Amino acid sequence: MPAHLKYFLSRFLGALATIVVGSFLVFMVMKAAPGDPALTVLGDFATPETIVEFNKKHGLDNPLIIQYLDWFNGVIRFNFGQSLTISSGQDISDLLAYRLPNTITIGIYSIVIATLVSLVLGTAAALNRGKLTDTATTSFSILGVSMPDFWLGYMLILGLSINIGLFPAYGFISPFESISGSLHSGFLPALAIAAPMAAVFSRTLRASLVENLNRDHVIVAKSIGHSYKFIFLHHVFRNSIIPFVVVIGLQVRYLLGGVVIIEKIFGINGIGSLMVEAAFARDYFVVQACAVVFLATVLVINFIVDMICVLLDPRRAS
Amino acid sequence: MSVQMKEKKNQELNMSRRTLLKAGAAGGVLAMIPAWASKAFAETGCSELTAAITGFTTINTLDPSQATLIPEFYVLWGVFNSLVKFNENMEIVPDLAESYEIVSPTVLRFKLRDGVKFHDGHDVTAEDVKFSLERTMDESQGSPHRNKFEAVSEINVLNRVELEIVTREPFAPMLSYLSNTRTGSQIVPKHLLENGTPSDFSTSPVGTGAYRVTNMEAGASVTLESFNEYFVANQPKVSKINIPLISEESAGVNALLGGNVDITSTAPFSDVKNLKDDSRVQVLSSPGVNTRFISLNTKTAPFDDVHFRRAISMAFSRQAMVDVVLFGEGKVAKGVIPSSISWASRDTSSDILNMDAEKAREELSKSAYPADIEVKLLTWGSGWWKRFAEVFALQVNQTLGTNISVEVSESGAVYQRKQSGDFQASIWGWLGLIDPDEYAYEILHTKGSRNYGGYSNPEVDSLLEQARREFDQSVRGNLYRQAESIMQEDCPVIPCFESNIHNLLAPDVRGFKQLPYSAFGSQFASISEC
Repeated sequence: MPAHLKYFLSRFLGALATIVVGSFLVFMVMKAAPGDPALTVLGDFATPETIVEFNKKHGLDNPLIIQYLDWFNGVIRFNFGQSLTISSGQDISDLLAYRLPNTITIGIYSIVIATLVSLVLGTAAALNRGKLTDTATTSFSILGVSMPDFWLGYMLILGLSINIGLFPAYGFISPFESISGSLHSGFLPALAIAAPMAAVFSRTLRASLVENLNRDHVIVAKSIGHSYKFIFLHHVFRNSIIPFVVVIGLQVRYLLGGVVIIEKIFGINGIGSLMVEAAFARDYFVVQACAVVFLATVLVINFIVDMICVLLDPRRAS
Repeated sequence: MSVQMKEKKNQELNMSRRTLLKAGAAGGVLAMIPAWASKAFAETGCSELTAAITGFTTINTLDPSQATLIPEFYVLWGVFNSLVKFNENMEIVPDLAESYEIVSPTVLRFKLRDGVKFHDGHDVTAEDVKFSLERTMDESQGSPHRNKFEAVSEINVLNRVELEIVTREPFAPMLSYLSNTRTGSQIVPKHLLENGTPSDFSTSPVGTGAYRVTNMEAGASVTLESFNEYFVANQPKVSKINIPLISEESAGVNALLGGNVDITSTAPFSDVKNLKDDSRVQVLSSPGVNTRFISLNTKTAPFDDVHFRRAISMAFSRQAMVDVVLFGEGKVAKGVIPSSISWASRDTSSDILNMDAEKAREELSKSAYPADIEVKLLTWGSGWWKRFAEVFALQVNQTLGTNISVEVSESGAVYQRKQSGDFQASIWGWLGLIDPDEYAYEILHTKGSRNYGGYSNPEVDSLLEQARREFDQSVRGNLYRQAESIMQEDCPVIPCFESNIHNLLAPDVRGFKQLPYSAFGSQFASISEC
């Protein structure tokens, strides 16, 4: 078997194992938590008899491992099962299909904002190291890392929405409905998620650029009279971008954490808010489906980052 | 040109390029506002309104016989009608019925309004009423409201618009249960459901209300459109109502202040005071039909001792609770029956519900248990239910030197433990129940379905049973007051406070009238401006 195919296969199997173990852990944690989906659905009207009936109807009276295997059996056939409490009887895949595009839009939007901002700030800081621009950028980075995203979210709402009315304080227009509406209504949440990421990206890029600016071959290139633009683009920037891309990949995990909170604050009907609501309502299978989506997203993005790194630095292929 | 000069030039170039990009981006953002704003937020007259359900996100079903949750009924009240309803003074008035008559203590006769139509155009007849109630009563339907109609022995259709509801024995709460509240009494179309309930009835039900459901996204939103043949003249005026489900009450406030929402179903207690001074919002606040109390398990130590129960009831200030827990948005309870059901609630407070440290210590000294016996008080969440428990425990411990600690769990888990009797004391409360019987009989009668503390007093039982049989409201009210005064001496529950209900309205909204049981959806029809 060729080396790269073997590599790909082992990555794939590893990813699959992660999803199995991850979803099982989520399932066990949910089951261990107090609360009962029957109580959510029946509310004040729950009696021991109606609870037993509810559990029987949804197979919740089976042993835990059987419940998990039943669910997993469906998942490998792309059937996530049905919601227990959030929307009794509705296919979870329908819920995901409605909400996933919103989360993906916000996620990509925030990565784009964070990347653009950090490319500008990181480069500016590196080229002006020790000067005012550098100090300002570094301070911004520390501020960005230190600000909790939910706090920033509320501040943005207060400042740019309630006081000025430039952006909606609540709600999100699906990209299928209107692209511009989606970009407008998604701007504040994307910015709130992007700010801490932009801070980390800028610092990484700056450090990496500074390191490369001082490398021997760059100094040699300067001394033989290559243009600054040429040196920067070919010898500095390209080498510096690898750790930058790796960091973007790593940050996606935090991005998903941010999405959960920010979706709640801004009322975005995405996977994050679905997961929170499902967890509160003890909708076990919905929580697991969301967990699988999140896990798969992280794994896919890690894989993409690896591929990009290989493209940027062919030495990594071996 | 030296390297430095080139560097400088490059930076200048970068700067100007950057500036250009920034300007372009800003221009782009500004340019997209009008296009989109006009699409989603602009309100032409008052054709469209956004009424957010705040603090809740789960709507499982819009089938009234299956619905249990408050947000479900927030919507249902706008989509369905019952035979009768409550007005703003908590008096029963006709709804789908044009009139009703108490023929005898066991027979209620109703005459329906003429020409009322379901959303699909079919006329509403007495057969639909009979079918709807029997559907909720039918064991195979598994309706959580079935026990509300256990007293009914038969429903007789007299003609197209008249029917009689017969109970096995006199049962005064029946009229309340037939109202458009959380009892599963809403009238559904027989012709659509008699051969079984279609699966989409829970998401797009057919009722008689001012609005019909046109879309529902699970955990996200419900969309209503006006029903042009609604039986009340000149209603509804607003043709489309969007109901987003906003889980965080504070996010609801932001959405309203930011102009994205016109009405909210609740408001956070802590914000009400400030919002009342804010010209960007109208705050509606009134006493709700609810009661919040400490529920004691009279079967276990130390609350199997009446002296211990009495002692803690007098060992804390209820007003302090209202101030700290509700930020002043409520009032001290004078009993378990909420003061908004004024014909049955106590209008004076007994000594046992007032703080008196001296008397409390005296009672405690008579108790068989030492003051420092370990007591766990159950509560849940992180919001005001938790604060409620903490404020209680802190005050009582300070006054009596007791050893009450707060155990925080999850609301469903607390409920389960109460039902199984696995608790010493817990925070509890009921909201939106509409008949005094639900607060008194169900909580205090030996056989009461919500009597989780195992309280039993034959004298109280007898009064509550008499009240169930008494149709004269003032006589019935007095029976409840007598039962309450005996109960209060026994202290199986410790009434603490009643909280206000709130709606936030955008400045231009007119015609939304708040009802004590916070009947959100049923008020949409009367909105005249927004």
